[in-house]
Amino acid sequence: MKNLYLPITVDHIARVEGKGGVEIVVGDDGVKEVRLNIIEGPRFFEAITLGKKLDEALAVYPRICSFCSAAHKLTAVEAAEKAIGFTPREEIQALREVLYIGDMIESHALHLYLLVLPDYLGYSNPLKMVNEYKKEIGIALDLKNLGSWMMDELGARAIHQENVVLGGFGKLPDKATLETMKKRLSEALPKAEYTFELFSKLEQYEEVEGPIIHVAVKPRGDVYGIYGDYIKVSDGFEFPVEDYKKHIVEKVVEHSFAKHSFYKGEKPFMVGALPRLVNNAETLYGRARELYESHKDLLRPTNPFANNLAQALELVYFIERGIDLIDEALAKWPIAPKDRVEVKDGFGVSTTEAPRGIVTYALEVKDGRVAYADIITPTAYNFAMMEVHVRMMAEKHYNDDPERLKYLTEMVVRAYDPCISCSVHVARL
Amino acid sequence: MEGKVRIGFYALTSCYGCQLQLAMMDELLQLLPKAEIVCWFMVERDSYEDEPVDIAFIEGSVSTEEEVELVKKIRENAKIVVAVGSCAVHGGVQSWEKDKSLEELWKTVYGDGKVKFEPKMAEPVENYIKVDYRIYGCPPEKKDFLYALGTFLVGSWPEDIDYPVCVECRLKGHPCVLIEKGEPCLGPITRAGCDARCPGFGVACIGCRGAIGYDVAWFDSLARTFKEKGISKEEILQRMKIFNAHNPKLEEMVEKIFQEVEE
Repeated sequence: MKNLYLPITVDHIARVEGKGGVEIVVGDDGVKEVRLNIIEGPRFFEAITLGKKLDEALAVYPRICSFCSAAHKLTAVEAAEKAIGFTPREEIQALREVLYIGDMIESHALHLYLLVLPDYLGYSNPLKMVNEYKKEIGIALDLKNLGSWMMDELGARAIHQENVVLGGFGKLPDKATLETMKKRLSEALPKAEYTFELFSKLEQYEEVEGPIIHVAVKPRGDVYGIYGDYIKVSDGFEFPVEDYKKHIVEKVVEHSFAKHSFYKGEKPFMVGALPRLVNNAETLYGRARELYESHKDLLRPTNPFANNLAQALELVYFIERGIDLIDEALAKWPIAPKDRVEVKDGFGVSTTEAPRGIVTYALEVKDGRVAYADIITPTAYNFAMMEVHVRMMAEKHYNDDPERLKYLTEMVVRAYDPCISCSVHVARL
Repeated sequence: MEGKVRIGFYALTSCYGCQLQLAMMDELLQLLPKAEIVCWFMVERDSYEDEPVDIAFIEGSVSTEEEVELVKKIRENAKIVVAVGSCAVHGGVQSWEKDKSLEELWKTVYGDGKVKFEPKMAEPVENYIKVDYRIYGCPPEKKDFLYALGTFLVGSWPEDIDYPVCVECRLKGHPCVLIEKGEPCLGPITRAGCDARCPGFGVACIGCRGAIGYDVAWFDSLARTFKEKGISKEEILQRMKIFNAHNPKLEEMVEKIFQEVEE
């Protein structure tokens, strides 16, 4: 037997959301094992909401994850509304998507500037960049504040939005606030373009180049966005969101409280901004479409680091899309915030595009209570693929200084923008 | 406090929302000249869990054996330990089914799958170490952080809020979701500090800041209103448990509310 060296480990990957580590075991002839250890405790969200009143369960689900609490809330509510046979009015749907876009803008801005950029600029912490990168930190805060404010106005707050209820919203902002929202979005557009420019210059490590299966929602109405009724795979296959269990399997892995997901039985795949672009670029419009066409060579489907640039492109897109959706709602002004809903028995599945990739909720409702819940989060979908890319990086650099190796593998993980907390509520087998 | 105040922000099992709330505060930049971040994995790569700190903020519930060891270590290293948010203070939403066994919950979610860590039922930090101050909420309001941090920095001690959300709701002049819509609003028995955020949007309070001590809640009128609206004791108790499953006074408090009616 060949000698095995001490594992190279990162106990706690910094600047991601949640607690996870990387462990790389090296032998005489190369990398033996690569593991993403998920050390955050289990939270049993599906189990604890069983038998609970639907509205209370819907208040609890967003608590799976703070970075994408709006994504969780809106996906859970859509699944619940499908289950009870309710379809929201178009203008309500448009405003929910605006709330979702608030989450997208905040989350992408935080990820790109506070979690990713410090690595490229040689800082251990984004707060240390304040003096030398005033402009960048200023843009980060402006975009983040815009997203938070949109969620405050439409969701009651930026984290754990209680204002989204079955049938619509508790209360809607007034017309003047929506007009202000449009104005603030327009003013943010140059900042998003600057972000795209900035991230288009950053290194994409060739060590991790290779084929990737991309999975994303096929956008409703063929307009690039968050909601859809079909899942689209980059191999050309499409299936209704209700069939997710037929094509994606989840497995418990020993080193993680989060399960791993595989397409067609054993194939790891990627979800997130890059897969959305790879599968749905033809549905983009406006300035984002132009930037996509002119930067195709950088938005490579074969490199997970391109996910960062894809997020920057989405900042541009979702700002323009948000303005259009607000116009759609304003055209029908005044809007009643909510319709009466009757909580009937039924089963519903919703898959939407959270900032870091698809999130699925399957809910069964019986007598006003949750009778079954299955939730798969973006990071749980991504883990298996993430491990593949960490391994590719490790295989090229296992002879380097361990600090360098740790740094590079952490960057691979960060490019996925993982929500580790989110993945650890874990889904049913 | 003299010199730079050493601050650590530690995460147990949670949604990371309390840290996110703090990280999103622009005011944090003003704090930098006065503070040194010793440990905060969410923003600082050079973070150290073993170093001494003046103030330790802990978010999340204790949910693995490893986290039991971690909180003990934090306590040894810190002058002031602050439990931040509903998970650290009350065990969090992951405690909602506290009465079911860990084995049962595990089986529902993981089946026969095994992992190499030791899971536990989620518990508040206080079940393991002494906590000096609590910041309530899921997530806490930004002003909660500003108040606590600011007060510590000038060498003083922040006070606890001892009145319910109802007080703030009345001051804001919002229509009452309990009286006018008959919804099971927990505003009357939930610790204030959120400016009645949810009732302000016409949404019933779910009690994310935790129950106020039962000796200051508005029992008489509240109990009558719950009863008049046809809201049962069981319904209130179940709703309270979302954020208060570990509160030792919970059943006693709800019992007391409904007893008043019968008398």
